[in-house]
Amino acid sequence: MLSLPRPLVAVLLIVLFVGMLLVPFFGGSYAIKFATRVFVLAIFVVSLDFLIGITGLVSFGHAMFFGLGAYSLYFISPETMAANALFAFPAALLIAGAVAAIIGAICVLTRGFYFIMVTLAFGQMLFSLFHTSRIAGGSDGAYINIKPAISMFGRTLLDFENRFTFYYFCLAALAAVYLLALALTRTPFGRVLQAIRWNEERAGALGFNTYAYKLLSFTFAGAIAGFAGVLFATIDGYVAPDLFGWRQSGIAIMMVVLGGAGTLFGPILGALLYSLIEEVLKTASWVGPIASHWSLALGLLLIGAVLTFPKGIAGLFGRKEGLKVSADQPHITRKVEDARRGQQLEVSGLTRRFDGLVAVDNVSLNLAPNLVHGIIGPNGAGKTTFVNVLSGSMKPTAGNIRLDGENIAGKPAYVIARRGIGRSYQRTNIFLPFTVRENCLIAALARHPSPWRLRSGIFVKQESDAIAHALNVTGLSTRADIRAAHLSHGEQRQLEIAMLIASGARLLILDEPLGGMGPEETGRVMALLRSLAANHTVLLIEHDMDAIFGAADTLTVLVEGRLLAHGKPEEIRRDLAVREAYLGRWGESAS
Amino acid sequence: MTAPILLAEKINTYYGQSHILRGVNFRVMPHETVSLLGRNGMGKTTLLKSLIGLVHPRSGSVELNGMDITGLRPSLVAKAGLAFIPEDRGIFPNLTVAENLTFAARGGRGTRPDWTLERIYSLFPQLAERRSHWGNQLSGGEQKMLSIGRALMTNPDIILLDEATEGLAPKVRDRIWAVLRQITSTGISSIIVDKNLGDLLALAHRHVVMAKGEIVFVGSTEALKSDEALIYRHLGV
Amino acid sequence: MAGTPVPAIIVSEQSAVMDLVLTQIFNGLQYGLLLFLAASGLTLVLGIMGIINLSHGSFYMLGAYLSLTLTSLTNDIFLSLALGIPIAFLFGAAIEWLFIRHLYQRDHLQQVLLTFGLILVFNELQRIIWGTFPHSVPIPSYLSGSVKIFGLMSYPIYRIAVAGLCIVLALAMMFVIQRTKIGRMIRAGESNREMVEVLGIDTQLLFRFVFAAGVTLAAAGGIIAAPIDSVYPGIGESVLITSLVVVVIGGIGSVRGAFVGALLIGLADAFGKVFFPQFATGMVYALMAAVLVARPGGLFGRAA
Repeated sequence: MLSLPRPLVAVLLIVLFVGMLLVPFFGGSYAIKFATRVFVLAIFVVSLDFLIGITGLVSFGHAMFFGLGAYSLYFISPETMAANALFAFPAALLIAGAVAAIIGAICVLTRGFYFIMVTLAFGQMLFSLFHTSRIAGGSDGAYINIKPAISMFGRTLLDFENRFTFYYFCLAALAAVYLLALALTRTPFGRVLQAIRWNEERAGALGFNTYAYKLLSFTFAGAIAGFAGVLFATIDGYVAPDLFGWRQSGIAIMMVVLGGAGTLFGPILGALLYSLIEEVLKTASWVGPIASHWSLALGLLLIGAVLTFPKGIAGLFGRKEGLKVSADQPHITRKVEDARRGQQLEVSGLTRRFDGLVAVDNVSLNLAPNLVHGIIGPNGAGKTTFVNVLSGSMKPTAGNIRLDGENIAGKPAYVIARRGIGRSYQRTNIFLPFTVRENCLIAALARHPSPWRLRSGIFVKQESDAIAHALNVTGLSTRADIRAAHLSHGEQRQLEIAMLIASGARLLILDEPLGGMGPEETGRVMALLRSLAANHTVLLIEHDMDAIFGAADTLTVLVEGRLLAHGKPEEIRRDLAVREAYLGRWGESAS
Repeated sequence: MTAPILLAEKINTYYGQSHILRGVNFRVMPHETVSLLGRNGMGKTTLLKSLIGLVHPRSGSVELNGMDITGLRPSLVAKAGLAFIPEDRGIFPNLTVAENLTFAARGGRGTRPDWTLERIYSLFPQLAERRSHWGNQLSGGEQKMLSIGRALMTNPDIILLDEATEGLAPKVRDRIWAVLRQITSTGISSIIVDKNLGDLLALAHRHVVMAKGEIVFVGSTEALKSDEALIYRHLGV
Repeated sequence: MAGTPVPAIIVSEQSAVMDLVLTQIFNGLQYGLLLFLAASGLTLVLGIMGIINLSHGSFYMLGAYLSLTLTSLTNDIFLSLALGIPIAFLFGAAIEWLFIRHLYQRDHLQQVLLTFGLILVFNELQRIIWGTFPHSVPIPSYLSGSVKIFGLMSYPIYRIAVAGLCIVLALAMMFVIQRTKIGRMIRAGESNREMVEVLGIDTQLLFRFVFAAGVTLAAAGGIIAAPIDSVYPGIGESVLITSLVVVVIGGIGSVRGAFVGALLIGLADAFGKVFFPQFATGMVYALMAAVLVARPGGLFGRAA
């Protein structure tokens, strides 16, 4: 996850900041204006990086909020006097944020390519609105006669006609926005956003309403972009529809990626670099006749950069992937006395069809709490589909699912997760770029999944206890700071279980947790699951017959989507139909 | 001493930082059926993928019919005579059974009579019946048969079959093993991965057991049957 | 009052309105068909290769300018088409080989950026070669003039020819995809490109072909559309955006979806021009938003 910048980077940023403080004393008025523009652009791209790099939403229409902020100043500024910045700036922020919330509500319904295209289209829509209509001068743009000023009680405190003053205001604004964004990434809200970036499905399955999180992120980013826009309009006192255009959005993406997406500081460097390149290509005397075709050079530079430096400038400061000894010691095993019981599951008539193929066929089942229930059957028997329907990642075609009496059939995955169901996956489905501890942290945060959590606050102790307990019990404490992608296969399976424990789920559904484990590990995991049954209900799909016959209290056999048998292991072993359909030779040799 | 048809030496394959295959040496002789055994996650699929070229080993070499195929893209390895049938079968859902079968059909090197569409249909009568059905309208067992038939239509010298009968009902499994016996008797070499030890012991000439990315046993059927400790430890039966 | 003749003025006003509406509908359909040409290429590249190619519109522009240059040499739009298609195909293959093939393993962001860079380069190259003034391309004499439709209104023959050509090309595309070997490879590549490679088909070459064919479709659209509107810098950009909207509405990878989506947009655009001239472009985006809310994967696409 995003952490505070490394010392080297922090020093660089501070040096840059101090340098910028001094520029107005040495540079001319052109340099001051140029730098102010860079600061404002940097604010804009930091907001875009929050969307792209932190949340994983690649928006190709972000400039529309920039434009809205800019145009707000035009609409708010009176003809003959300065607008009050204390009013105008927040107003621009709010207007941009409000529109972002509305447009975001639609855009965030989509993902991936569709999201890129939808945001592009909305940006163009706003562009054409301002371009072809008579609003604010249409394609000619409009002027803001007098730049805003900060005034209180009738006295002008800061007049932004003064380039000097505005320069420092923008620099301060940039620092503030960067620090705000950085702080946000370290709140529970920000951490979950990062989880959504790397594995949205998993985040939803843990209980987070990913739509709400993404929408909030989109709105926040849009509001900050609007703030950047109103500052931009103040620099020149002129607004034009091009501010909304996709070329502007594309250039912003360029700055984010060239600077290094997801670092928040990288895009600032990207904005600086881009502005310098543009300036040089346009005006340097040695460029000569090429100057009028500077965007050709820019395009080639961009292509070259994408091909050779995909991680951008910040990638040059990349941190080496390795062990980082955690500063705080994990809490000693304090047995978390969980006074809760497991949950009761009643399934009736559950069916799931796919285009004519019946994957789950009228299955009815009662699973008592605080027991280990095994589900076995040949591959393709519908076990994973059954479990997908239970956990909400698929909707049933028919039937009911009652969890402690409440019908949860058809509800979205995150709602079902909040009711207490947690699942692990057949193919390891964790947050690969995060460390083991961070994976468990996200799971623990799911106990209180509201997106409005901006302070770690009161739940920190409960969460860190849950994490420590989960790590201890699955034997991962010594690996807590290793990135999940570097774990062995067996350790990754254990991390899946640790996340379930950390999340506080009460009905655990485990899809082939023993995959890839040797006899000792298998024994340990099965013992763990049995001990978990004390205050959870455990549902287990497995192929390892020895393990499951030894540990399960009940067994359910699914074949071709139908429930073939259900009962105690000894009964199942003796059941002829089961033997014939599935156990075959194994059943015979065991009897 | 005849030359092996497939020779892999000191294969080290990584997924990112994870060292999956550790110095694996593997060989298949002409007309030989080799079984590849081991639990999930031990590296069997990674080994097969390293042979077809879907993943490239960081070090080591692979030779097919004497030709160095290390690092070649899968289509070139396939054209050199190696057919890989993945665990999930890879049936094209938007093509019919007939289209799937003829998709990449090509002639063999002439050492054996070619597999033709007619021969495949007589080997798998169910596929003949459903030749105009879409790929996604078939059951699991039929898809498995289709994937095998499609591979045969490319007339390879060696077949790599990842999970021959996983998830299939016993009756279907028996049919697959019978078909595999017929196929291997035509002289084609093969590497077969499966969890059914008994069936593999009956079919394969030589057995290879993998654990944690390394080969822990290579030997005949007799040798494997008699090593009960190994069977328990690595195959869990 | 039966039998009273309707005053002539009212009759001609009514038929004027009818004319306008009918003309717009035909224009909308013809525009939609042209849009289908461009969008089908985009959806194929996206669906089979998984590449977002923002420079797709630049190939439409290439077609338009090729039309300008070639027609001034050959004096016939169809000769220009015959010459332009191979030129566009080769150029597309070259671009794939030089740049696009490095994008297959990369994420959306990098694809977007690199192809955005291509737009910048292509736009400038166009300016350098052809300049910034708009040009017009003449309609061939045997297709000029108008014809009466339903005895009611006059409609330009060339536009009908364009629509017809688009339909012919659409049918040809359908034939290739459904009945030929390469079409099978394309369909298979859409569902499982790894398996296509494993079976012995060089997907690198397949992708080069698909990319070149996809952008050539756009270029063909540009060539035949050139005599209708003028040829000017930036002509490709609105085609790109609208094609993207078509792909979103129709569903990624679905040629059928591109057809339906393009026609819907053509009609929406026509509808907008008649009733809401100020916000005609807005209609298109409103349509897209509506489709997305109802079916996030597009009309014929897989769920997003």
